[in-house]
Amino acid sequence: MSEFPADSHTIDRYEATGGYVQARRALGMTRDHLVEEIKASGLLGRGGAAFPAGMKWSFLAPARPSFLVVNADESEPGTFKDRQLLERDPHQMLEGVIITAIANEVHHAFIYIRGEYPKPARRVQAAVDEARARGYLGTGIFGSDYDLELTVHLGAGAYICGEETALINSLEGLRGEPRLKPPYFPAAKGLYMQPTIVNNVETVSNLPHILDMGAEEFSRIGHPDDTGTFLISVSGHVNRPGNYELPHGITWRHLIYEIAGGIPGDRELKAIIPGGASAPWFVPEIHLDDQITKDVCAEAGSMLGSGAVIVMDETTCMVRAAERIVRFFAHESCGQCTPCREGTTWMEMILRRIEEGQGRAIDLDLLLDVSDNISVGLNWPPKMTTICPLGPSAVSPILALRDYFRDEVQAHVELGGCPLTSGGRPPDPRSLQTVSAETSRRSTSMVAPDRDRE
Amino acid sequence: MGQTVTITIDGVEHQVAAGSLLIRAAQDTGTYIPRFCWHERMKPVGMCRMCLVEVQGPRGPMLITACTNEVAEGMVVYTGNDTVRKAQEGVLEFLLANHPLDCPVCDKGGECPLQDQAFSHGPGESRFVEIKRNYEKPIAISSLVLLDRERCILCARCTRFSEEISGDPLIEFKSRANVTEVNTFPDHPFASYFSGNTIQICPVGALTSVQYRFRARPWDLQMVESSGLHDTAHPRVSVHVSQNQVLRLVGVDNDATNHGWLSDKERFGFQYLGSEHRLTSPLIRRHGELVEVGWAEALDHVAERITLVGDSDGGEAFAVIGGAHGSNEDAYALSKFARVVLGTNNVDARLDDSLASHFLAATVDRALIGDIDTADTILVWGPDLKEEHPTLYLRVRRAAQELGVRLVVVHPRVTGLDDRTAIKANYRPGAGFVLLDEIAEGKHAALSEALSAPRVVALVGQASLADGPHLAEAVAAYVRSKAGSARILPLARRANLFGALDMGLAPDLLPGRVGADQAGRAALAGAWGEIPATRGKDTKAMLEGLGSSEIRFLLLVGADPVRDVPDPRPGPAALEAAEFVVSIDLFLNDSNRGADVIFPASGFAEKEGTATNIEGRVQKLNSVVPGPGQTRPDWAILADIADRAGRSIGLFSAETIAKEISEVAPAYDRVTWDFLEWEARDGAVVPLGGAPVLSHIPVALKGDIAPSAELTLHVGRTLYDDGVMMRHTPNLHRLAPGPVAHLNPEDAKRAGALHGHKVRVVTKHGDGEFTAVLDEGTPPGVVYVPFNQPGADPLGTDAVVRVTAVGK
Amino acid sequence: MSQWSEATQERAREIMTRYPQKRSAVMPLLYLAMAEEGYLSDAGMEEVGRWVGITPAQVQAVATFYTMYKRKPTGKYLISCCTSISCMLLGGDDVLHAVEDESGVPHGETDPEGLISVEHVECIGAGGGAPAVQVNYELVEGVTPDKARELVRWLGNARPGVVNGDEMQELFGGVRSFEWAIREENGAVGPYPAFQPLGTVGSEDKA
Ligand SMILES: Cc1cc2nc3c(=O)[nH]c(=O)nc-3n(C[C@H](O)[C@H](O)[C@H](O)COP(=O)(O)O)c2cc1C
Ligand code: SF4
Ligand code: FES
Repeated sequence: MSEFPADSHTIDRYEATGGYVQARRALGMTRDHLVEEIKASGLLGRGGAAFPAGMKWSFLAPARPSFLVVNADESEPGTFKDRQLLERDPHQMLEGVIITAIANEVHHAFIYIRGEYPKPARRVQAAVDEARARGYLGTGIFGSDYDLELTVHLGAGAYICGEETALINSLEGLRGEPRLKPPYFPAAKGLYMQPTIVNNVETVSNLPHILDMGAEEFSRIGHPDDTGTFLISVSGHVNRPGNYELPHGITWRHLIYEIAGGIPGDRELKAIIPGGASAPWFVPEIHLDDQITKDVCAEAGSMLGSGAVIVMDETTCMVRAAERIVRFFAHESCGQCTPCREGTTWMEMILRRIEEGQGRAIDLDLLLDVSDNISVGLNWPPKMTTICPLGPSAVSPILALRDYFRDEVQAHVELGGCPLTSGGRPPDPRSLQTVSAETSRRSTSMVAPDRDRE
Repeated sequence: MGQTVTITIDGVEHQVAAGSLLIRAAQDTGTYIPRFCWHERMKPVGMCRMCLVEVQGPRGPMLITACTNEVAEGMVVYTGNDTVRKAQEGVLEFLLANHPLDCPVCDKGGECPLQDQAFSHGPGESRFVEIKRNYEKPIAISSLVLLDRERCILCARCTRFSEEISGDPLIEFKSRANVTEVNTFPDHPFASYFSGNTIQICPVGALTSVQYRFRARPWDLQMVESSGLHDTAHPRVSVHVSQNQVLRLVGVDNDATNHGWLSDKERFGFQYLGSEHRLTSPLIRRHGELVEVGWAEALDHVAERITLVGDSDGGEAFAVIGGAHGSNEDAYALSKFARVVLGTNNVDARLDDSLASHFLAATVDRALIGDIDTADTILVWGPDLKEEHPTLYLRVRRAAQELGVRLVVVHPRVTGLDDRTAIKANYRPGAGFVLLDEIAEGKHAALSEALSAPRVVALVGQASLADGPHLAEAVAAYVRSKAGSARILPLARRANLFGALDMGLAPDLLPGRVGADQAGRAALAGAWGEIPATRGKDTKAMLEGLGSSEIRFLLLVGADPVRDVPDPRPGPAALEAAEFVVSIDLFLNDSNRGADVIFPASGFAEKEGTATNIEGRVQKLNSVVPGPGQTRPDWAILADIADRAGRSIGLFSAETIAKEISEVAPAYDRVTWDFLEWEARDGAVVPLGGAPVLSHIPVALKGDIAPSAELTLHVGRTLYDDGVMMRHTPNLHRLAPGPVAHLNPEDAKRAGALHGHKVRVVTKHGDGEFTAVLDEGTPPGVVYVPFNQPGADPLGTDAVVRVTAVGK
Repeated sequence: MSQWSEATQERAREIMTRYPQKRSAVMPLLYLAMAEEGYLSDAGMEEVGRWVGITPAQVQAVATFYTMYKRKPTGKYLISCCTSISCMLLGGDDVLHAVEDESGVPHGETDPEGLISVEHVECIGAGGGAPAVQVNYELVEGVTPDKARELVRWLGNARPGVVNGDEMQELFGGVRSFEWAIREENGAVGPYPAFQPLGTVGSEDKA
């Protein structure tokens, strides 16, 4: 018996546990009040940029109509938290959508779900239909005179459409290419050049709880400058991968060894990717006891990003892991910017050569210099030569090779192959690992720890 | 400049225009920031990243693209420090990584920004040891343009041009990331009237010209500026020549007319100059055959005839048709020749297809092309600008799209501007007055409201041959009555027609926008001597006069009144009946084939002179190549005939003619070559200052009332047709639509016509077989037949038409 | 002049009402075009262009930007194996090789019969149940190379008319990112996402 019911996605269950009460209340509140409330809660965006949600709302330009787009394009490698919220708790998000719409005087909202998520999309569409049937969406919601249309839009396979301006272009029926900044926020000029709020699924899913418990109490959960709980998706070499809802502030050691059940076969931890494929890597020697908060991560030169933690053990070839991540960004580049389009592919080619034993002694320096022409100075956050951060994100793994794994790279060159195995490819770690049903961990739905709806 | 801000570029403070782009501001103050994707006339996209510079940001120094960021007060910019140099060299290395090293065989070699940058900033040899991207070498994306995707740097200039500027997005990005390419859609070629511009703005050799391919290297080219004559806006061009051959035309960016853009007709339409069919020596008819003779013989022969006819029948026995294709100097010589040597006012440069001469020449509130940008409302009630006035089309399109000008288009069917109109009204050909009355009666509130704006620019002309010559004048009059301030641009399309009219090539006009009335004649008598008083005939009347043998002598100057007139009937008979026909032309055509004497004329780029565009802008035409064989300018031929006829017109060089024009033609007061070359680089709009010129009094008479026929014929022009020059320009001639009849699917069904099958189209004046095109853009009740198409039978101007299916 | 079935045209009309501007309907209409022909043909792109009023070249620019619009004929079953970092760490590549080997179809290809297409894809949001595979975008998590082979054989033999994620998870899956809640009866009917507004959701009884 799991902690939550199998029908958590239905409107009956949601309403039985207090659902849509806050949306109704919101109808009676002014925009200013709602914006202030969210500001006070200290809620940060959960899409990766960790921008204060309330402040973003306050940037909304006066022109109307304004639009709302919920970013459900979740494509950052290692991330799968939004999928759970969409599949298991669609009404929680919808309530958040209604609140956000009211706060930003929006009468047409969109939910942009990545194309590879048809099941979550079906669930959300079903939830939308349920809500519409009860008069919570459409004309005159909850019997008020407030109209709210909602369109569920399916992507078609492009990670870059998670970038909010690319997402907007995609929604307009254009190529999913990020727009130039400035303007820095779609809140100024977004969908159809109108003021537009873009928020992540998890961000809006927090709103009913904030209104419910009040900004005050919400802001006391977690870490002062990173309030509330957040979802971490743990994947890679751990015994209990999955989504965990945590208050900010625990350590990596606690997350990996306690919560995620440690590393299969008690093998050695080698590297941690703290915030999705875009984030620079951590290594146990230096970071294992760091707190998991936005700021500590930033000081250590990385980020919590989308909350995807990828754990790599001693059997992992760092060159191969880096190649795989760089390949991702090269494949997902929208192709606008010369450095991203040409540079990431070049990096991928070099890494593959090294991994396959064709590396040259100068290749690591070449790799670093090519990277430097995409992300000047090789730091995080990056000094970009590009329009959006995708290109510079491809550099993150290279920083790890430079700082922690130079020798492993050189070993590839000298050995003419991968040092981790004779054959050049490491063994499939899975064969060393036993995964049975019960080792698959528990994951929770979006509720503040002290008030489970069950 | 208005508002300014202070910025520091590389340690030096500058005052620059507020709101301007950094890349522009830097350039204006002497700092060139390298760029590939940025183009002055298009919206920035910041894609190539070549223009990266460093500025102080909130979180320390940051790199930004100079082409996408506006200057801000106190901005501190570094365009060449180590960070910037490395970033730019990095971008360049990325661009070159996959770029082929085929500069020696690339048409762009020697004039390639990428090549130049590579020399100045580029790394020595490439660190890119991987395999380059490869694509099939040049693919023809149209019969005029080749695309080499290996050379493309994806700057999006071509795709932006075709979407933003010309409005036919047929070339687009494809795929993404590292395999992004530019391409067309399968079986949808880059069929744009403006495709050549993409070749011109491509910063590498990815887009090249079929016509120019491998013809020359930039360093052997001699380049001379002139203005194009295919388009009455006279876009500024640079003529590129090698070994006395015109090899290509390139648009010159100027605010006044074309912003650097050219239609493909202007850009590629010079092939006829080198045609082997050019006339190269004088011809005389002997025993029914045209034979080559020396100049003296031909000139004397004509001179004798003139004396003979003149002595017996006087000036009324002469007719002069044409003169719109030459320079102002040619036109002036012809005008003077007709009045002084032939003693007649029977002279007309309009081939019966355009508006009243006074309306064209003497509309005092005539709009400048530039007024299009600042209007509140633009009315286009006339031809489809995309087909007949490409330069104006681009200006109007931009105004409606970028500058928020409200565009109103009134036309019998769909036009190239429809996707940008605020209001579009269709009407049955010939029923223009009916619609106008309805509008005046307030039946089209939105439309009259739009025309009541403070600043209205009205481009008016003949939308369809069925529209009478006065509809445009009535529309202009209505606009004047509604608008706060109205500016009128009467539309007519023959090369230098406006120059010709300004030189008096109309029965009722004399040089300098002066009427051929008592006062006008008196004013000119000092310079020209006595000028005939009898009222002159227009083209139509002259052809009739020839038919009735009232006129015995016909002089054709670059005119083909048999084919190139709306009403095909009188022409052949008239030419048949003519006792003596002299032609000055570049080619034999259906009208001069039977002539008695033919003189070989020099054409565009073969002679010096001036020309006057649709807004009255006088610009210099320059001679770049010698004409073939014994060709000579019209004025020289006419001057010689005059001398031999014993009535010299005293004209010895184009420049002295220009001087004489500036002295005797009021509107052209002070417009000398020196003035144009030194003081008015973009030309001078006449009249300069308040020179007294006649003003046109609009006639308010009614035109023909709506035909009640089930189907009405709409004959309109297309950019490419069967005109003489097009016929000798195969590249474009083959792109003419040919004998087609556009039908609304409904009407087609009723007539039993299938798309692509043959139909017979019958009017009072003519009939012929055409290929049916089923077309939603042609409203029910209208049949659209493009004018003067290769292989098409002329149908005349009668609006009533019958269509029957003939099958495959 | 549409070549689409009346039903599809009806869907298209319905979809267009969901967006404030015509052009926004391009993406869903491209899916309709795929559903109509099994893949996105040139004719399909031209048709979409007519619906939203843009040129085929503009439609192509959009369609080719995304990976899920398949512009060559695709098998009845599209098997997508994730080889992104999280799946790679747990043997995603081996699963891919097993699928390629068992089906005899290499990455990016389709078998002659037009039954199975195979591709390796970037992260499909299943890192907690790595390595993961999708069949017509219906997910199976915790797949082993052997299970993957079974899956391929099953598709070849059972040839389900509707591809159901829960069914495949039970038969061939292992560890999941999280529990999926109640069983879905519905599934995918072709190599494109099964989504109500697209009319692409198949139910087992229908199959
Ligand atoms: C390359 C790139 C990919 C992104 N992908 C996602 C994504 O998949 N989901 C998401 O919510 N935000 C993503 N973002 C962040 C969005 O741009 C945006 O900041 C976010 O959706 C705002 O919502 P929030 O403030 O609620 O976090 C991405 C950003 C970048 C630069
Ligand atoms: S950085 Fe890459 S993904 Fe981002 S806009 Fe530039 S090319 Fe596109
Ligand atoms: S010129 Fe600025 S990015 Fe290309």
